[in-house]
Amino acid sequence: MPELGIAQIANADALFHALIHTAIDGIMVIDEKARVQVYNSACERLFGYGPNEVLGRNVDMLMPEPYHSEHDGYIARYLKTGKPHIIGMGREVVGQRKDGSTFPMYLSVGEGEVGGKRIFVGIVSDISEQRARDKRIQELQGELLHVTRMTAMGEMASALAHEINQPLTALLNYTSAARRMAKNFGEPGAKLVDILERAVEQTERAGLIIRRLRNFIEKREPDRSAEDINKVVEDAIALGMAGFRDTGTKWILKVEPGLPQVFIDKVQIQQILVNLVRNATEAMSGRNKRQLTISTGLEGSDVEIAVSDTGTGLPDDVVSRLFHPFVTTKERGMGMGLSICRTIAEAHGGRLWLASNTSEGATFKLSLPIGNVGEPVK
Amino acid sequence: MTQNLTIYVVDDDQDVRDSLKVLLEFADYNVRIFESAVKFLAADLHGIAGCLIVDIRMPDMDGLELQDELLKREIDLPVIVITGHGDVPLAVRAMRAGAVDFLEKPFREEALLEAIQRAFRHTPRRNAAKTDEVRARLEALTEREREVLNLVVEGQTNKEVARVLDISPRTVDIHRAHVMEKMHAKTLADLVRMALSIQRS
Repeated sequence: MPELGIAQIANADALFHALIHTAIDGIMVIDEKARVQVYNSACERLFGYGPNEVLGRNVDMLMPEPYHSEHDGYIARYLKTGKPHIIGMGREVVGQRKDGSTFPMYLSVGEGEVGGKRIFVGIVSDISEQRARDKRIQELQGELLHVTRMTAMGEMASALAHEINQPLTALLNYTSAARRMAKNFGEPGAKLVDILERAVEQTERAGLIIRRLRNFIEKREPDRSAEDINKVVEDAIALGMAGFRDTGTKWILKVEPGLPQVFIDKVQIQQILVNLVRNATEAMSGRNKRQLTISTGLEGSDVEIAVSDTGTGLPDDVVSRLFHPFVTTKERGMGMGLSICRTIAEAHGGRLWLASNTSEGATFKLSLPIGNVGEPVK
Repeated sequence: MTQNLTIYVVDDDQDVRDSLKVLLEFADYNVRIFESAVKFLAADLHGIAGCLIVDIRMPDMDGLELQDELLKREIDLPVIVITGHGDVPLAVRAMRAGAVDFLEKPFREEALLEAIQRAFRHTPRRNAAKTDEVRARLEALTEREREVLNLVVEGQTNKEVARVLDISPRTVDIHRAHVMEKMHAKTLADLVRMALSIQRS
């Protein structure tokens, strides 16, 4: 005799009961007047009310204002017009617990009929954690953006000062040479010497303005603490992925557990990693194989992070000037990214370099010294 | 005028190199220019004499590394460091490593020639009498001024000094001005030189 299925052994009631109460999501059924008819165990955990407190009562007790007051109106409108707003689909709504606190939840509502009576079935899941995660990513992004801007401004001022100081130096030298020459011209030369002296003064003035500008645009004070590099890498990937989820890139994360802590400004290091991850992702656009590998490990007294892509590699003329300011392969890039990243790495006593570059892809490596806080991560 | 003495200029910016050559030749110096530390080291450095003007930030090998390399090869050439970055900490490191002077780009002809004169006079041994003089000036500083001096010659920026001492950058400026005045220092390089001479004696 073939083995009987559960549906054949158990009576319908027992099966229904098991189904409802073992469900992870909250399940409730209400009638046309919004009175709660079924309220499962998951609902008890979500809302904090016991079944006796809810069954038979209006479901609007589980909602904060204004939904609490408006819910009867929603049902009445649906019954009158037949136009669904939530029925047959789902949406994010807010629930209210017994203690008055609220939480974001995903609610899907279906409509049915039992014994000639119309019922509505609601399935509820708590999405607080997902929301908290989204919010955290948003905060991280905001912080990163701010730091990126501040660092970029400091770096811009510094790079610009350097670029402008070079021609100013040459200008001052040539003017001084001309002044020296004019001294040999006797009487008419005296006037020329005077004019050239003024030109010298003006060049000096330009130099002074540049110096003040650089002092004014203060570089952000680094905020360093002992960090688990793997955690920092994971956050950076979450940030780097934002906006690139749909490019079909395969992400591989190979972290070595138990690495010693590093003493770093977390946001700045994330800035480097996000830059590398984004560059790598962009380098692979249009390629068939799009695979991004991020690995961490210990290399002597340094923690090393490698970011590899499967793009076409970097052209030779770019490689030699890769970390210089104002060098870019992007149409709309400023070419400040890697230059800033290297500055940050060096300020941490670390290094950032192009470790390998072939037509099959490029690997960038960032190394950070373990320093004097080499305690393993617990 | 100075037949055997040559000024060697190492700077990765061609216009800076060329203009220095023009100016220094007008001032009657022999001048040789190099676009990188590597090219300079590749030249015949046998019996070299004179002084070296080197940019502190260059690709491949920077000014500090070149100083190291000269030391390794036992080439005793006074070094003047120039910088376009206003890299005070780097410049202080260069002076600790033995540079005679440093100049921030753009610099005046007078400052440059003075630095060169000093380089040519350069003797590794310090004059004891002068050290005593510097020591006397140091005595005249207040406690706070001495703290500021110590941090500045370590290569800290005004902002870092302000943070360490927990005072405003403006106050640091004032202290710093007093220190320069009391120490009879015209430039930061003067100050670093004096502090180093005291430390070495």
